[in-house]
Amino acid sequence: MDFLIDSVLSAFLLLWSLDPDLYFIIYVSLKVSFFSTLIAGLLGTPAGFFVAFHEFRGKRILITILNSLLALPTVVVGLVVYAFISRRGILGILDLLYTQSAMVIGQVILIFPIVACLTIAAVSRIDERYRKTAMTLGATTFETARVIFREARFALVAAIITAFGRVIAEVGVSMMLGGNAKGFTRTMTTAMALEYDKGEFVLGVALGIVLLLISFAINILFNSVQGRTKS
Amino acid sequence: MTPLFEARKLSKVYKDRAVLDLAELRIEKEMIYALQGPNGSGKTTLLEILSLLIPPTTGELLYQGKSVDFKSRSLTILRREIVMVHQNPVLFTRTVHGNLEFGLKVRGVPKPAREQTILESLDLVGMRDFLRAEAHKLSGGETQRVAIARALVCSPRVMLFDEPTSSVDVENRNIIERIIGDINSEKKISVVFTSHDLTQASKLSHKVIPLFEGRKVPSVYENIFMSTICAGDEGKMRCQIRDGIALLAETGAEGKVKISIDPLKIRLHRNDDHGSDINSLKGKLVQLTDEQSLVRAAVDVGITLNVLLPKEAFKEQSLNIGDEVTVLIPREAITVF
Repeated sequence: MDFLIDSVLSAFLLLWSLDPDLYFIIYVSLKVSFFSTLIAGLLGTPAGFFVAFHEFRGKRILITILNSLLALPTVVVGLVVYAFISRRGILGILDLLYTQSAMVIGQVILIFPIVACLTIAAVSRIDERYRKTAMTLGATTFETARVIFREARFALVAAIITAFGRVIAEVGVSMMLGGNAKGFTRTMTTAMALEYDKGEFVLGVALGIVLLLISFAINILFNSVQGRTKS
Repeated sequence: MTPLFEARKLSKVYKDRAVLDLAELRIEKEMIYALQGPNGSGKTTLLEILSLLIPPTTGELLYQGKSVDFKSRSLTILRREIVMVHQNPVLFTRTVHGNLEFGLKVRGVPKPAREQTILESLDLVGMRDFLRAEAHKLSGGETQRVAIARALVCSPRVMLFDEPTSSVDVENRNIIERIIGDINSEKKISVVFTSHDLTQASKLSHKVIPLFEGRKVPSVYENIFMSTICAGDEGKMRCQIRDGIALLAETGAEGKVKISIDPLKIRLHRNDDHGSDINSLKGKLVQLTDEQSLVRAAVDVGITLNVLLPKEAFKEQSLNIGDEVTVLIPREAITVF
């Protein structure tokens, strides 16, 4: 127990001392997570919107597949992307392996289904009367879609926040595709895994505290957005 | 004169169930029409087809003499002449002003022109004071009135109302009924509205189109009940509506059916004198309403029956609310579906 208390106290001291290594790890984590969330949002939101807004053959199967992908293990994503971008892979020529770009690619694949599924759920929950009202007031299909988008906006933001929460805390993709290279692709979660392997807990606990604070901030944001959805 | 709407062999089928099946329909310009019928008679479906929101499964709809192509990209242009106000309308989550501005924005009306039109429309429904109010904080009646203003601001040729007063209080009901009249008389906008209330339909409209189970019917079906047909004495068929209420009817149908009892053919008496061949039920008079040359009486016989009496017959019997009466229902008054 003393050991844990000592680690926590040392961790706070490390954070307080503005240790450059520690803050660089936090920076890399936030940067990679930001870009993967941004790209997944730009791809997943319109895709989810399209699926929810249109009737087409195979729609239900597509939604079932997307729902199944919500439980996609990070190591599976890591493995599949690795197969493509490793030197022997068909994209090996791009030299992406063990770069932040590779991590972003893996994370986008990981959270695309989350963004798409939550967007489908958000748009499907919007009362059908909004669509009919916009149309009867003379809106084109595009203008009608904008109305639905506006009505669902808080739930859509919540989808993005959920996706960000998923990538900031994942370890499998970052480790397998980033390689945990110090000062380059080391993120909070991969650093914590390494510190654990080394049996040194201070940095791990410090990063754990930061990760928890980020999670806490995300949850506060998520709850405030959800609250606005319900009002 | 070219009619506003003309429909031929119009049908709408949802999952193998025909909810609308009209051989023909004609709606003239600058008039008020009421589509009247009970729940499930296809009123809303017809209104949504007329508003060009949903295509019919089969048949043809003509608007101002031209056949409507529901797949055409230019349908939006046509739709901008016809605005529908839904039953329990939804307002967008923005201000009342933002809601009214929507229809004008999509029509490309410049901002200065918008403001004047918005205020005029709000004045017509008596909601100018709510211009900057958050729309989702309004009451049911206020929401309905803003929804009417939002439709009106688009300067449509046709306005379609689905059960415009079904979810509002008496005060708002009177206001909305007045607005519908004004829209037609002052702005010359053609109006089609649905109502399950025959009194409202007759009072507000120039013409009532009765619908029943998706079809146009010659007269309004009233007193509709679910019942079970069973064989009675001497091979006579009886419709069992509920325990203690069974009526003799002329029918070859069997099992569970829907029946309608023509309110014009029902008679009310204070005494029990009647033949054995006529259905007779005892009940209490619970409501009386003046309907031009007729008096509408609601009688509670265990179920509520609507009866239409000529005014002379009503006066002769000097009936009052609360009176015990005998309701006589001839067999020919009962239609079995």
